Order: sequence, then C-alpha cells, then structure tokens
Amino acid sequence: MTGKKEKVQMSAMAKREERWAWLFIAAPFIGFLCFMAYPIVFAVIVSMSRWTGINSLWGNLVGFRNYIEIFQDAKFWKSMLNTIIYMIGIPIGMFLGVTIAMGLNRKIPGRRVLTTMYYVPVVSSLVAVSILWAWVFNYDYGLLNSIIKALTGLHGPNWLGDEFMVKVSMIIFMTWKGLGGSIILYLAGLQNIPRDYYEAAEIDGAGSWAKFTNITWPLLSPVTFYILITSLIGGFQVFVEVQVMASNGGKNYSAATVVFYLYEKAFKNGQLGYGSAIAVLLAIIIFIITAINFHGQDKWVKTID
Amino acid sequence: MKKKLVAMTMALLMGAVAVTGCNTTTVEEAGETSEDAGAVESADAAAEEGSSDSFTGNGDKTLNVFLYMQEHEKEIYKKLVSEFVDEHKDEIKEVVFEVTTQDEYNTKMIANMTANDLPDVFYVGPSAVRSYVDNGYVTPLDDYVSEDTISKVWGTTQEIYRYDGKNIGSGSLYALPKDLSCFAFAYNKDLFDEAGLDYPDPAKPYTYDEFMEVCKALTKDKDGDGEIDQWGVANANQFGMTPYLYSNGVKFLNDDMTKVNVANNKQLEEALTFYTNLTLEGVTPTVDQDAALGGYQRWLDGQIGFYACGTWDVAAFMDDATFPYDWNLCGWPVGPSGDGRSHTWMGSVGYCVSATSQNPDLAAELIAKLSTDEEGQKAVSGITTGASIQLPNITDLAYGEFKDAVADGSLPFPSNMDVIFGYFDGNDHYAAALQETDYTYNAEWFDPFWQGVANIQSGDITVADFLSEVEPEMQTALDNAIELQNSATK
Repeated sequence: MTGKKEKVQMSAMAKREERWAWLFIAAPFIGFLCFMAYPIVFAVIVSMSRWTGINSLWGNLVGFRNYIEIFQDAKFWKSMLNTIIYMIGIPIGMFLGVTIAMGLNRKIPGRRVLTTMYYVPVVSSLVAVSILWAWVFNYDYGLLNSIIKALTGLHGPNWLGDEFMVKVSMIIFMTWKGLGGSIILYLAGLQNIPRDYYEAAEIDGAGSWAKFTNITWPLLSPVTFYILITSLIGGFQVFVEVQVMASNGGKNYSAATVVFYLYEKAFKNGQLGYGSAIAVLLAIIIFIITAINFHGQDKWVKTID
Repeated sequence: MKKKLVAMTMALLMGAVAVTGCNTTTVEEAGETSEDAGAVESADAAAEEGSSDSFTGNGDKTLNVFLYMQEHEKEIYKKLVSEFVDEHKDEIKEVVFEVTTQDEYNTKMIANMTANDLPDVFYVGPSAVRSYVDNGYVTPLDDYVSEDTISKVWGTTQEIYRYDGKNIGSGSLYALPKDLSCFAFAYNKDLFDEAGLDYPDPAKPYTYDEFMEVCKALTKDKDGDGEIDQWGVANANQFGMTPYLYSNGVKFLNDDMTKVNVANNKQLEEALTFYTNLTLEGVTPTVDQDAALGGYQRWLDGQIGFYACGTWDVAAFMDDATFPYDWNLCGWPVGPSGDGRSHTWMGSVGYCVSATSQNPDLAAELIAKLSTDEEGQKAVSGITTGASIQLPNITDLAYGEFKDAVADGSLPFPSNMDVIFGYFDGNDHYAAALQETDYTYNAEWFDPFWQGVANIQSGDITVADFLSEVEPEMQTALDNAIELQNSATK
C-alpha cells in the first residue's frame, strides 16, 4: 500500500518542467478563450438584441424575438433549403472520389501527375476559381455553352441565371472543388487495406464486386465518415461561391445560402442581432447533425482492428 | 468511447466556427452608390491596401483621420493634410491619416464604435447622420465652421447633413461634403451618326414616347446573323431604374418615410410599365443577356445607345483607352405624370468630427480644408489634373474655373455638362434628390423591389401583380429599418 502521506517530492527540474507544461497548455487555452469562447458567448448575447453596432447593445435586448422572427422569415427558409439542396453534391463527390481513387490505386503510368491534377482545385483560392467558373457557366460567352452550341447548334441553358440551373451549377462547382480532397483521403484509406484480405477473398472465389462491397467499402467507412462530417459542416457554411458567382443571391434568391443570408443581414443591412441569431441557429443545427452522425456511426463505420 | 468524445468535440469546434466566423472570407462588393462603376472600383480597391500615414509638427495635439478613397485621390488628400500640419505646426504633434477600402470601412467603423475608440475625423453618409447623432458619435459643427465656409458648397450638401433631432434638412450641421455626385444619362454619338438620328437636346429631355422611338431606331442586328447585337439602352435595375421612375413623379415611401406606397401607385405602375417595356420590346438586352454581360461592359464595347453616367464615370468615359467612342450627356426621359422635369438621384459622403475628439476645433478646421480647399477641389475635379472624378464642392469654382477649363479644352469633359449642373441645382428641365434609401436606416426594403423587377422583364409576372405582391415584403423590411433607426441609446 502506498501511503498518502508519502507525498511525491518533485525535484527542482521537474517543477520547472511542470511550469513549462502549464505554459504550453495555457497558450492554446487562452487562444481558445479569446477567439472562440468569448465570441461564442458574445454572439449568443447579441443574438438576443437589436444591436446594430451603432446603438447600445444592453439597451436593445429583446429576448428571443429574433429567433421567433427567423422562424417566420421566408427568405431564411429559402436559403436554408438551398443550402440543403447543395448537399446533394456530397454523395456525388464521394462516389466520384472512391471511383477515381480506386483507379489511381492501380499501378497506372502518370498517376502521380493525375493525383496532383485532381488536387489542384483544393489548394486554389476559392475566390479565384469561383470567378473562373462564373465564366465557364456564362450564358453567352461561357465555355460550357460554347461547347453545347458547337455540338448541338442550340443555345445552352442560363446556368447561373435560371432558378433551377443555378443550383445544378453550384453543385457541379462544389463537387469539382472538393473532389481532390476526397480522392486523397480515399486513396490513403485504400492503401491501408491489407492485401491479404483480398487474397483470402479470391481464394474463396469472390468477384471484384463482392470484394468491393465486402472489403473495400466497409474498410473505407472511417474515411467516408470523416468526409461526411466535414462536408456536412462545410456544406452549411457555403458563402464565397454564392457571393462571387450569383449576384445578390441569384434570381429570386435561388442561389443564396444561410451564411450568405446571414452576411447580408448583418453586414449589408446592419442587423447584427438578427445575423447573430441566424449564426447561433446554424451552429445548433450543425451540432445536432454532427451529434446524430457520431451517434449513428457504430452501425456502419468499421475499422480494421 | 473516450475517443469518440474527443472526436465529437473536435467536430463541434469546427461547427462553432460558424458562430465566431473565423473562416469568413472577405469578398469585394460593388461600390455603395456606384453600381456600374463597381467593376472598376473594386479592381482599384483590390489593388490598394489599407495604409496609414503620419504627419508631425511641434505642438501637443493629435488627430486621427480615418477615411476610404481611391488611390489617386489619396495623394491629393495626403498633400492637403501635410499642408494643414505645416499651417498648424505649433499646435499639432501628429496627424495620423489612415485610409482603407470602401468595403472594409463600415466593418472597421463598427469595431471602433464598439470599442468606443473613434477617430477624430471620419465619414458619415446621409443615411447614417441620424444614427450617428442619436447615438452621440458626432459633434455639431455650428461652433467650429463659419457660415462662410458652409455657404460655399452646393445647396444639397448644406441640407443633407443637418439634423434637428427629428428631421434631416434642418437643425445643426454635422458634416461637410467630401463630394456630391449624380447619376446622369449619356449617349453614344457614333451610334446616333450611324443611324442618322438627331442628338438628344440637353435643353429638352425626351418624353417616354420619344425615348422609346429613338431606342427602337438604335436597336439593330448589325452583322445580319439574325440576332440583335446593338441596343437602344441598357439599364441596371438597382441604380439605373429609379431615374425613369422619379421622372414620372414616383415616390416609394410616404412623406414621413414610414409607409411603402407601391401597390396602388398609378404613377409607379405607369413608369414601371414603361421601364420594363424597354426590355419586353427588345430595346435593351434581355435579362439572360444582361446576366451574361452587364450593360456597363456592353456600353464600353459600343453596343448600347444610352447608358447611365455618374459624375465619377466621366474621367473613364473620356479616356479613349476605356471608351473609344464619341459621347455626350443628356437627361433621363420624362414621364407623362411627373412635374415635366427629368429627375435623377444624387449621392454624397461627408466628413464629420467625433463627439469624443479632444481637439474638435482643430478637427473641424481640417475637414473644412479637406472639403473646401480650393487647390484640393481643383485637383479632384480635374481642373489641375485633367481627370474629373467629381465636380468641385465649391459652387463658385464649379461655375467658374471648372467650366472654363472644360471650355478651353484643358479638362476633358462632355460639352453638355449643364445637364449635371441642372441636376445639381435644379431648373425648369432638371431636378435631383437623394434616393429614399438614403433616408432610412438601411436599404433592405428596396431590395425585393429592384431584384424582383427582372421577373417582369422576363415576362413572368405583370406589373400590377408584382406591385401588389412586393408591397408587404417591402413594408416589413421598412418597419425593421425604422425600429433600428429608433433604437438609439436608450
């Protein structure tokens, strides 16, 4: 039995080390307090006010009025629906990601070059590529419609000007932009699957489809889970694409996302309280969806060990 | 389980970024009032970085100046500040002259206000005068600026920065103008020559009907491929629509700006029908074509007969590298139910002095110099520099040396410049006022209107249906704006 009296005596050096340890812990902790905790608390308070940045915050507290108004705000729901529609791109991106990653996992010539090419959009400036794609989608002068015209002789759709097509365009763009990331992740995942699993399956006479459904896809599920979580969180935060590619949120607000609406409210119309309420609500939605995902992962996420 | 908890926490933190806005990306927005110049201006803005210059003297007083402006203006104003410091070198210890971009300005000002750390001199726009005064951020200039100085500037700029605690236009003066601009109309002379048409008469703006006829004559398929490639006019709905409407006597709001008056507004219905008919009858590019390439680009490319011309556009349009066509100014067409005059909107931003300034007298002297110094005004208006981005703030200078410089050719400016003078000062044919959005806390109530007009232009809804549908949405946004306007420190 080790008696409690026997207090561990720390040497001077250990003490010094401990002080350093605390210092190292303090740095990120203070950073968290200043740049995360404080802004979050502040945003929650602001969300219960009619603060404009110009008037007094404490003199304009209104309780939950902003939240109540948001629920009756047609523009909010429209932008929320658009945001969710854009997420159709997530499964499409995953499917393409797995497919291309499996292609690149073979020993084909030039695969490093190909991998790099797929990854270029991920490291490119979002604003820059958004401007570029706005031109690709341009109704009269765009690359896409020029190709359509050359092939069929007909004028292509108004990609960014039509209420339906603008969503298609955004999904195409976001899938393209995110594809490289999921390919790299899936590729890493594929390379982690031990060869012998496949060999065992082959001995049992499994075909390539059976190998994919029973080995590859299940063992890639942690990667899929990671991509799903990050894409969903990112999907709720889409802003730049809309701001750059669709002027004023698109025709009849058909391209606007929640964050775009939040930005317009807070920074264009000076309604910081209302904007903060949207931000808080958005965060809660993201929290809930992430929690559901983590809760459900036991049912389908498999690991090698 | 523990691992799961850690992972969950990490993911939630990423979600938290949505609240704290850590990954907000700043994107250039088009200029506040200069929609068509947006492309040009934001290119400028992107090129320039925020900068801060310091000018020192031997005294003990410090002034902080915080403004936004374009690169070439900055040099002119820096020189004025430096002169000011020389003139007061026994009083002044330092003047810090900080300039940022228009996009960042409001955000930084809100940060300053929140931190209660205002610069001594900053901008106030007409729409912000009430909020700034009600919340105690700006100081009245009555004791610091002489009547003499105030009376030098355009009548409009003497009025719009006055506020009596209830109404704009009377009471104490809170700012001196940096500029006054207006959104005039221009035509491409070369296209008129080709079509064999008489030029518009600056002394007698077109009626709606005359304008439609001229536009039809200017609209053609030049290369014979069956598609129209030259149009009579192009209009940007956000800023280029209201002049047509104002010229038919339209007001969107009632006199005390509390009620939207759109649904049963005959003047508006008539004017909006005319305006949208321009597109439906094919004398403007279609909505789809406009989305592909905006009117401003098409005008610069010589595809458009008439286009808006803000006073800030003149230097660019006079520059052959930007606009290689002959052009001149004219008035916006006049509707049958207005006062018979051609109307447009004006814009302005003013210099004010912080209510917390330790040296309000000195700050007021500085803004008087920035606003009405003769040499400075000669430079920004182009009298000495040859490129005009605004008219002089000083009316005597505008009617005197400015006109002389245009007449003797030393300042490139279209010969019908009296159109602009007419809008500024008002006469039998011309009149102008600030937009109604300049009197409300924000412009959100006008958004559903101008953004929705494209639906009429593409034939999806009739004017009457649109007007009755859009009114409630506008009213809700206006009510919000009024509430925020009235939410000053309680």
